Amino acid sequence: MAKVTITIDDREYEVDEGQNLLHACLGLKKNLPYFCWHPAMGSVGACRQCAVIEYMARDDTRGRLIISCMTPVRDGGVYSLEDERAQSFRAGIIEKMMVNHPHDCPVCEEGGECHLQDMTLMSAHTMRRYSGRKRTFNNQNLGPFINHEMNRCITCYRCVRYYQDYAGGRDLQALGRNQQVYFGRAEDGRLENGFSGNLVEVCPTGVFTDKTFSRRFVRKWDLQTAPSVCEHCGVGCNTAPGARDDGKGDPRKLRRVVNLYHRDINGYFLCDRGRFGYEYANSPERILQPLQADTQPLIQSTAAAGEKIHRPLPPQDAVAQLADIIEEARLGKRRLLGIGSTRTSLENNYALKTLVGPANFYAGVSAGTLQLLHLVNAIQQDPQIHSPSTPEIEQADAVLILGEDISNTAPRIALAVRQAAAEQQRQRARALDIPLWQDASVRQLDSPPTPIFIAAVEGTDLDGIARETVYATPDEIAELALEVVNQLPGAVTESQTEASDSLATQIARALASARKPLIVCGCGLQSPALLRAAAALAKALAANPVNSEGTASCALYLACADANSLGLTQLCSEQQHLEQLLSETAQENSLPSTLLAMEVDLFWQLPDEQAARILHGNQLIQLDSLYNHTSRFAQLLLPSAATPESEGTFVNSSGLAQRYYTVYEPSGYIQESWRWLANATAACAARAGGVEKIPALADMAQWQHVTQVSAAMAAGIPQLSPLSELGPDWNTLVAGAPVARQSHRFSGRTALQAEVAVAEQPPPRDPDAPMAFSMEGIQFAGYSPLQANIWAPGWNSDQAIHKFQNQPGGERAPAASGQSLRRATKVFEIQVTDTGVPKTPVNADLLTTLPLYRLFGSGELSRRARSIATVVGQAFVHLHPDDARALALCAGEQVCLPGSDTTFEVKITAVAPQRCIGISAGYSSPQAVVAMSPQDIRPFVENPQGNSS
Amino acid sequence: MISSLLRSLWLVFRHLFRRNVTVQYPDEQPYLPPRYRGRIVLTRDPDGDERCVACNLCAVACPPDCISLQKTEDEDGRWRPEFFRINFSRCIMCGLCEDACPTYAIQLTPDFEMSEYDRQNMVYEKEDLLINGPGKYHEYSFYRVAGKAIAGKGKGQGLNEKKPVDLHDLNL
Repeated sequence: MAKVTITIDDREYEVDEGQNLLHACLGLKKNLPYFCWHPAMGSVGACRQCAVIEYMARDDTRGRLIISCMTPVRDGGVYSLEDERAQSFRAGIIEKMMVNHPHDCPVCEEGGECHLQDMTLMSAHTMRRYSGRKRTFNNQNLGPFINHEMNRCITCYRCVRYYQDYAGGRDLQALGRNQQVYFGRAEDGRLENGFSGNLVEVCPTGVFTDKTFSRRFVRKWDLQTAPSVCEHCGVGCNTAPGARDDGKGDPRKLRRVVNLYHRDINGYFLCDRGRFGYEYANSPERILQPLQADTQPLIQSTAAAGEKIHRPLPPQDAVAQLADIIEEARLGKRRLLGIGSTRTSLENNYALKTLVGPANFYAGVSAGTLQLLHLVNAIQQDPQIHSPSTPEIEQADAVLILGEDISNTAPRIALAVRQAAAEQQRQRARALDIPLWQDASVRQLDSPPTPIFIAAVEGTDLDGIARETVYATPDEIAELALEVVNQLPGAVTESQTEASDSLATQIARALASARKPLIVCGCGLQSPALLRAAAALAKALAANPVNSEGTASCALYLACADANSLGLTQLCSEQQHLEQLLSETAQENSLPSTLLAMEVDLFWQLPDEQAARILHGNQLIQLDSLYNHTSRFAQLLLPSAATPESEGTFVNSSGLAQRYYTVYEPSGYIQESWRWLANATAACAARAGGVEKIPALADMAQWQHVTQVSAAMAAGIPQLSPLSELGPDWNTLVAGAPVARQSHRFSGRTALQAEVAVAEQPPPRDPDAPMAFSMEGIQFAGYSPLQANIWAPGWNSDQAIHKFQNQPGGERAPAASGQSLRRATKVFEIQVTDTGVPKTPVNADLLTTLPLYRLFGSGELSRRARSIATVVGQAFVHLHPDDARALALCAGEQVCLPGSDTTFEVKITAVAPQRCIGISAGYSSPQAVVAMSPQDIRPFVENPQGNSS
Repeated sequence: MISSLLRSLWLVFRHLFRRNVTVQYPDEQPYLPPRYRGRIVLTRDPDGDERCVACNLCAVACPPDCISLQKTEDEDGRWRPEFFRINFSRCIMCGLCEDACPTYAIQLTPDFEMSEYDRQNMVYEKEDLLINGPGKYHEYSFYRVAGKAIAGKGKGQGLNEKKPVDLHDLNL
């Protein structure tokens, strides 16, 4: 980008051309106050807070006031931030804003990380002169996540600009007028948009605050934090969880989650599942200590066969029991079968795989899911296909979404796709020489919206920005994709001329003429045919000479369900799935079997009946963070660390490996799963008389640090070799000082634990990363990528992030996190016959089952978070009105489905394919069948056994 | 040299005839002004409610970090400390907490007699700190001036506040 030279307060700087002056000043790390400007949303010049003086030339002494966010930098421009007139103007602006601001700071959750506080200090407004009465507003109840305190508003309009323009929400408006503008809903109620949590960070003051945090509130400076990765879907958003110990051993240490900027993934925003899902780690259902099944026979209970009641067990005994089993397995007296997990780190999975041996390691997913994941992996290896980063998605100029309900399965990607809707406008703005940061000007440009086509199995949140939406079954969607391939220019088909205005033709025309087309698909609909069709389309587009600016690859985003779905895929073959495990254990075998299930709930992954069959007759040892359905059958339960309590690596849906770090020391006897396994192995080695006696597990018995596990993996598995470059970089130590997890203002060091014991204990040491569980260490902005406490002098709010970036909206300094997997480049062979999609044999009488995903409810961990649990609602089925009529079912009726104890509420919707039954995913165990007979849908009868007992 | 020696001897000798400044403590108590920086208390507002709103400013101002508390919000909408702890074995009586307190809740008193045989007894909890009066500031009640609504004081009923804006009013 071309550079221009500007002079600010008699110093010359070189800055990028085309940006606005505020952006340039912040990029130069200058302190210039602002409110309405946001790096992701551009300038509107509403607040007038960023005024500076611009001089005509160097010899001009008078100059004039300009609003820096609305002024492009001019080559040779001379500006002054420190001129007295500019300073007093800014102080005057803030004084007016503060006229009605309540005297609330001590009882405001924003206090201490408030942009308004920072800007007030920066503008040197210290004394209130206005003695009149303050305007007040009544608040609204905005649901369980967001608190509303309208008195504090300074009318910067950031909330509605974010909520309506950026996130596409419709239920938050600017109401009223004049001095009495009210930002709220038409009536009380939960904010509907799935990204409403970002209002907490977008609002520069305390109008919108985090209600879940407020329940166990502490100030920002009292939170300890570390870089983490969100565990609630496969996108891999970076987060900065904040934790604080209460000094009395309360395990609920995690207090909140905020966004941690990563340009290529989450940028400035998180979805609500990621922001509020953290509460699962504080759940009363956490396993805090090793538990053992009670051997006392149950006298009377409602438990199913094989269910157990647990009692605590000293950790050394638990390790000894596990060591016994490993010992037996080693001596060939027992089969030890490991079940890995898509929601835990690569390190944990690798440790389990090492322990049980590659042949006995199974992915904790169904055969169908594992096949899909391997398919995704194979597709992403194709040189003609690339996984787009979020900014790339935002700049796509034609989008086709194939079946995947990304608003609910990969929400942050849906938010990015929403930005793509304005790409045509942005292109037009470029052509007209309007800078893109001129938000209002770009928005009102008259240009057709970006062609976005959605093929879905139900109405989605993105339907509003779609040019065309079609509701169809997965097979039909796959067929549509293949039809589009046929309609692309250059495709050798005869059908091209006829039916020229079919949907496929429209899509083909839009995609073919786009420079940066984007296809979005995923594993959600459980259809390999759909994934193959998406890949075929992407490859056809990549071969299309018009597109992709000569890169000869097409952007294809494939959403995977869990945080480490793609990571686990690297560790097991396509055959190592739970059904295989089932047939393995079902075989006659003289040896007793032990299942080692690590952070996997079999009843979440498989239909009830299959999960029960796997558990039948086998001993189960489970390592998990939350007590779940599978835990009821476990002989031994070991408490695993939740993501913010541990360090490890996740591989996101794009194949980016990212390391997350321990935010806080977990309570009780909780530790990472790999540590339990390594402890047991070490105990085993001690019994055998030294590690050399157990050569297969010798390395594992000596693992002390998670980095050793990563190193072993990087050395052993070629595509995971980038793990060795993933860090943490121990060279970031300055004079031996690690990165401090706590802020330099962290309070209560000598009082927090004093109730229990007045003598202070040293803080725990982190064996795995160059970070301290204390305030002692590096605190400087942008010094280390490990720093997650976003703070700079004068900038207490999250707006300080620009001090951590190369420039606002740019890459995180000094380096962005994550390394792409080093997968071999391999052409993905599409096996598509002329007949199109290999059809699932459909009986005309049967209803095809479709999984329907929900932001709150379909996440295994997040649905158990306290606040999210209040909005999850009941399991439901979706029916097309015609089908509902045929089945004689009305909306709101309760029905039962085969193989499940759950009752489902019937919802009838016309935006659904016919001859299908959509079933809420995650509300019950998955359905065993891909199609069900209408007779199987039985109305729910209360207490069918009667009341005789 | 000699002269300075003699002068010192003379000064010491003169003091034989001066009044004794030593006080027979503890039989005799010295006068300490009300703003003396001694034992810390938590006060109540004129209505008898706890003044502390658990804003955490005292804790962050405290140089030896000996104050710790946890905010909780009660049914009446008030913020209160769930616990409030001062480790007096670390306290240096600097008074920065009092300076920082936006509600006059935390105040230092002219009492310094806090010796204990067991250091653990120097840890004071909220029950130990809370007194039944307003301390040095008799009139101040934070919630009267704050914009936050609490039970008994709705929006617009605070000091210097207009009635809440009615968005359905045609005369906005």
